[in-house]
Amino acid sequence: MLDWMVWTVPTALVFAGLALLLVVMAVWARLSPPVARRGFLRIETDRGDRLYIGLISAAVVLAGWIAITDLSMWLALGCALLVAVVIGIWG
Amino acid sequence: MTVAGSQVGGEVVAAQEPPQAEEEAPRAALKRKDNRAWWLVLPVVVSVAFTAVIPLMTVVNFSVQDVFSPVDRVFVGLEWFRTISRDPEVRAALVRTLLFSLQVLLLEIPLGVALAVVMPRRGVWVSVALVLVALPLLIPWNVVGTIWQIFARGDIGLGGWTVNNVLGINFNYTLDSTDAWITVLVMDVWHWTPLVALLAYAGLRSIPEPYFQAAQIDGASAWATFRHIQLPRLRGVLTIAVLLRFMDSFMIYTEPFVVTGGGPGNATSFLSILLSKIAVGQFDVGPAAAFSLLYFLIVQVFCYVFFTVLTRSGR
Repeated sequence: MLDWMVWTVPTALVFAGLALLLVVMAVWARLSPPVARRGFLRIETDRGDRLYIGLISAAVVLAGWIAITDLSMWLALGCALLVAVVIGIWG
Repeated sequence: MTVAGSQVGGEVVAAQEPPQAEEEAPRAALKRKDNRAWWLVLPVVVSVAFTAVIPLMTVVNFSVQDVFSPVDRVFVGLEWFRTISRDPEVRAALVRTLLFSLQVLLLEIPLGVALAVVMPRRGVWVSVALVLVALPLLIPWNVVGTIWQIFARGDIGLGGWTVNNVLGINFNYTLDSTDAWITVLVMDVWHWTPLVALLAYAGLRSIPEPYFQAAQIDGASAWATFRHIQLPRLRGVLTIAVLLRFMDSFMIYTEPFVVTGGGPGNATSFLSILLSKIAVGQFDVGPAAAFSLLYFLIVQVFCYVFFTVLTRSGR
């Protein structure tokens, strides 16, 4: 159907996940508005900020991993998600 | 004061009559209505989606495939990311581009601020100075490149000829990689320092006069006035200047492409030049897409870190 954007299943899943994440964050913000606070990043962030920082950090972990080692990318994905979660909770 | 007025009307009335008790109701009404203003953002969202988000998603799709034609494509996973991120040429270009951006910032920010400080504050010379300073900004990139390509030439260019024959320094940007680098760097400084200067000038103009009077009464030196009054007040505009100049110099393409074409050798082939060579020259859209995404990630990280450090460090 979407041949003009040369979709693949994995990239479609990633973007669907991101879209879902945005919807969830929007609904969550409606239910309980985000509160800014300071974590180990030592800057004032609310959960949206931390989501963004977490995603970017995860991408950096993945990019660094692929540039440096030949270890499995699943392990990299695990590390990236771990980083994102740690930043999301304590950042 | 009526609640049933239009938004603008309600605001004007609230500004004119400030009784505390009556203010709450219209403010609540305004707030409710304000949420609907989000629909006004919709055209921007749609146009940005059409021109930026969807193309970027397509780039992501390209980056994981080997595309021979729209119907003939193979999923290759993260292969292109591995190839590109380990390519010595790409790594060298990354180092080169970072070095170039660093030098651009180190030269243009202090120069721009210095220019803004010495520019006249009032009188007829203000307009003259502003126009003169803004002049390089009005010239299109490729024309700037052409100007400098000729200006820096040793045989027919005024700048190159002066360096060679008056200063007695052997200068040839088509043969010597250091000379090529210096030419591109000086060209960028010439082209973009005015932007920093104008931003800094606007920032300086917004400082209220009493600050300077107080400094004068305290007997502050010109340096102390600059260090403790002008510089802190320039924080906002300098944040913008650093971000703009970083992004722009990190993505520089046209000027070095026109002047040196990335040479001699690879001396001035920055990331963007290498990227366009892969994408347009060799038509390797898969590797080029992976390259673009890594490039994009680097720009994102740098800008976010810069922005956060410069705007939030005080809080």
